[in-house]
Amino acid sequence: MGNSADDKDLVARALAGDRDAFGVLVDRYAAQARRVARAVLGDPDDADDAAQDGFLSALVKLAQYDARRPFGPWLMRIVANAATDRRRRRNVRRAEPLDPSLVGGGPRPDTAAMRSELGERLRTALGELPERRRTAVVLFDVEGYSHAEIAGILGIPEGTVRSEVFHARRRLRTLLADWKEQVP
Amino acid sequence: MRDTQPFDHRPDPELGAALRAALEPRDDHAAFVARVMAQYERAQTLPPIPTLDVLASWFRPGIAAAAAAFIAGLLFGRGVLTPAPASIEAAMAPVEGTGLAALVTAQDPPDASVVFASLVEQH
Repeated sequence: MGNSADDKDLVARALAGDRDAFGVLVDRYAAQARRVARAVLGDPDDADDAAQDGFLSALVKLAQYDARRPFGPWLMRIVANAATDRRRRRNVRRAEPLDPSLVGGGPRPDTAAMRSELGERLRTALGELPERRRTAVVLFDVEGYSHAEIAGILGIPEGTVRSEVFHARRRLRTLLADWKEQVP
Repeated sequence: MRDTQPFDHRPDPELGAALRAALEPRDDHAAFVARVMAQYERAQTLPPIPTLDVLASWFRPGIAAAAAAFIAGLLFGRGVLTPAPASIEAAMAPVEGTGLAALVTAQDPPDASVVFASLVEQH
């Protein structure tokens, strides 16, 4: 997560029309936004589209940002909403639920060899979790947001976030432990 | 990896690192940033508050619905709240014995007891 005071300064400059300031914010949060979008969508290309939608939506809504609050959760809420919106549209288009095989981005000969087996398993396991659950665990364990911040990002009660993270971890930790037993 | 504690407040570094690696974008970071920034100008031309468009689309139906509701309320109010006009006979009819009619129709000045009686009857 970025430096809070620095973020606010960058937001103020971006609001004043400073393109470079917005560019720094994009650079700072791009990886995080892409991971969060991928947790929601599975497919990396869709995730990048959603992350881009999120950044551009944030740019349009920048005047609505409350500078008394940290910028990261505000941005991640927009990114998560953009990803959820894209997933809904994709599901309507396909008229079928998320295919867990898509979580790895589908068979791509050029990159498949680069992916670790554990990564594939984790992506598949994530894809089998409910959307809110997998987003919550990624925001908590990967991005380091607090339960309260995730509650704000996902628009759900803090207790529900704790429960979602707990259940997601139970599934993913089991998978991780099994994998470690198999690895010599 | 730490034991699973219900509602643990701390991130799990091992699980977090594994998930991070699994979700790490394939493409170049700089390429993605450039791709977003390429849309910067276009995004700034988007209407800042599209909600206004939504509200504008509801303006005419809203006005029509408000007018219909106002007229319906007016008719209902007039029908329910306005008392039916009483006939002069009904208004003048005494409730019991000598009363308001005797007082009004008498040729001579009223007797004090009649006035008093009519007042008592009214209450």
